[in-house]
Amino acid sequence: MAGTLALTRAELMRLTRNRRYLIFTVALPVVFYLLVAKQVKDSAYGIPFGAYYMVSMAMFGAFSGALNGNAQRISQEKKEGWIRQLRLTTLPANAYVVSKVLVSMATTIPSIVIVLLLGRFYGDVHLPLWQWFAIAITVWFASTIFAALAVAIGYRYNPDQVQPLSLVVYFIFAILGGLWFPLNGFLGKVGQLTPTYDAVRIGSDVIGGVSVPVGLAIGLVVWLGIFVALASVSVRATAETV
Amino acid sequence: MHQHAAGYAAARTEGSASGQGIATSYGAAPGYGGAAGYGTAPVVSFQNVSKHYGSLRAVDGLSLDLRPGETVALLGPNGAGKSTSLDMLLALRKPTSGKIQMFGSDPYHAVKSGRVGAMLQSGGLMPEVTVRELVTLVTGLHPKPEPTDVTLKRAGIAGFADQRVDRLSGGQTQRVRFALAICGKSELIVLDEPTAAMDVETRRLFWNSMKEEVAEGRTLLFATHYLEEADQAADRVLVINRGRLLADGTPAEIKARAGAKRLSFRLDTVDERFLLGLPGLVNLEVRHDLVQIQTSDSDATLYAVLDAGYRPHEIEVTSLGLEQAFLAITAEDDRAAENDGEMI
Repeated sequence: MAGTLALTRAELMRLTRNRRYLIFTVALPVVFYLLVAKQVKDSAYGIPFGAYYMVSMAMFGAFSGALNGNAQRISQEKKEGWIRQLRLTTLPANAYVVSKVLVSMATTIPSIVIVLLLGRFYGDVHLPLWQWFAIAITVWFASTIFAALAVAIGYRYNPDQVQPLSLVVYFIFAILGGLWFPLNGFLGKVGQLTPTYDAVRIGSDVIGGVSVPVGLAIGLVVWLGIFVALASVSVRATAETV
Repeated sequence: MHQHAAGYAAARTEGSASGQGIATSYGAAPGYGGAAGYGTAPVVSFQNVSKHYGSLRAVDGLSLDLRPGETVALLGPNGAGKSTSLDMLLALRKPTSGKIQMFGSDPYHAVKSGRVGAMLQSGGLMPEVTVRELVTLVTGLHPKPEPTDVTLKRAGIAGFADQRVDRLSGGQTQRVRFALAICGKSELIVLDEPTAAMDVETRRLFWNSMKEEVAEGRTLLFATHYLEEADQAADRVLVINRGRLLADGTPAEIKARAGAKRLSFRLDTVDERFLLGLPGLVNLEVRHDLVQIQTSDSDATLYAVLDAGYRPHEIEVTSLGLEQAFLAITAEDDRAAENDGEMI
């Protein structure tokens, strides 16, 4: 475990030198929130739009950070042979994947915190302390699910394929999940199957003071199971080529 | 008899090579009797190991043992199965059949115990960190780490330790990979084409530092297709071609294999049929009155010429380089494979 943590520390150090992730995880949701939050006067999911949009933008930044950067990096590092090199060390076989997920969990925290602070001080969202934590932890957990998907994609596909693929996945889960605007009708029904929807809806229900349907939480866990299974299939399938 | 001769796998001994202290292992020949007679357990042993990719036999019934303290070159042309063999040894690939042991355990656990330091051709480096940071990270993972500064110096990378890994030249990158292989006190060092992408001077520096490592009693296994490297650095050479072990011996023994001497002389009246019947003859070239013979036994060849009453002049006997010996061995093997193909 000490070795895995050493690797995680080095990964975090790298990330502070790579500013690109900031654009996806922090800058984009912040800009969207500033542009949109006060323009829409309706309510969404039974709460004021500004409050809904805070939760959805926190989710948007966090999940795209967990997905886009990671999938690309994993694929690149596999191609260049860094994963192979690590297999020659005493690190346990799963150390690379574990450290990627840990790093992903660490890097989504700032983006979540910044968007929630923005909601509080710019969007005038006032909540009891426990609700802030409930929202932050839900979004944090839901974005970690996408770190598993990033492993699944990054291990299986080469960097040229990962770029468009993760973008497609990113748009599907952002739009269908109702992160940019709540969906109605048929698309809304389909969208309710996504983990991004589950997370935002849990956050919205917490804010709205209604009891959270247990199906939403089950949805998140099911998606975690799906992505972890995909990741382990990818890692196993490529065991002889990394 | 030279000590290496005792352990040869000898499924079929080639006529022309008999008496040279070299035996050949053709195909499935698990006949190698382990470390019997040496007293020390082998560091590495391959027992009839094969690796197939579909119908391609990348490694085909390979059996060999490495003993402690040896410097062994794995020599073969591109595609001979060198990298696949090393990958299997390092638990990166699984053999289709056969068994590999390292320090008496399976490859995965041997690697995880830190007793092996390895450098792969295909090994990559973590980008966005400095050379020093990377070496420090990997050193920290080793159960018996060397001080980082010692590693940097030995690998000849102290001069650019604070540069970013992703901004190095090919030769510099190669030396950083080497540093990662020697950053701990490993008992076995495995290097796959270590000096690829290095210039002549860097290559010389590399082998100098490598000799320091080996002088501490480590076992070294390296794959190469630079023959002079195997000749100079190794005390044992394993020649492999098409996934099989063709020869196993000291560089001198490998050179002796399949006509290690070139005998040349001038002869006024050349009788090619007579010359082709000479003992030890491996190859004959005649140009006007100049006769050039590649022979496994230059003395016997020459005596036969003299005994037949010929009086050649300008007699010269020269040793062949490892390169010619290597080409002769692999070409012979390729011809044998073609003949097998015709019979099927």
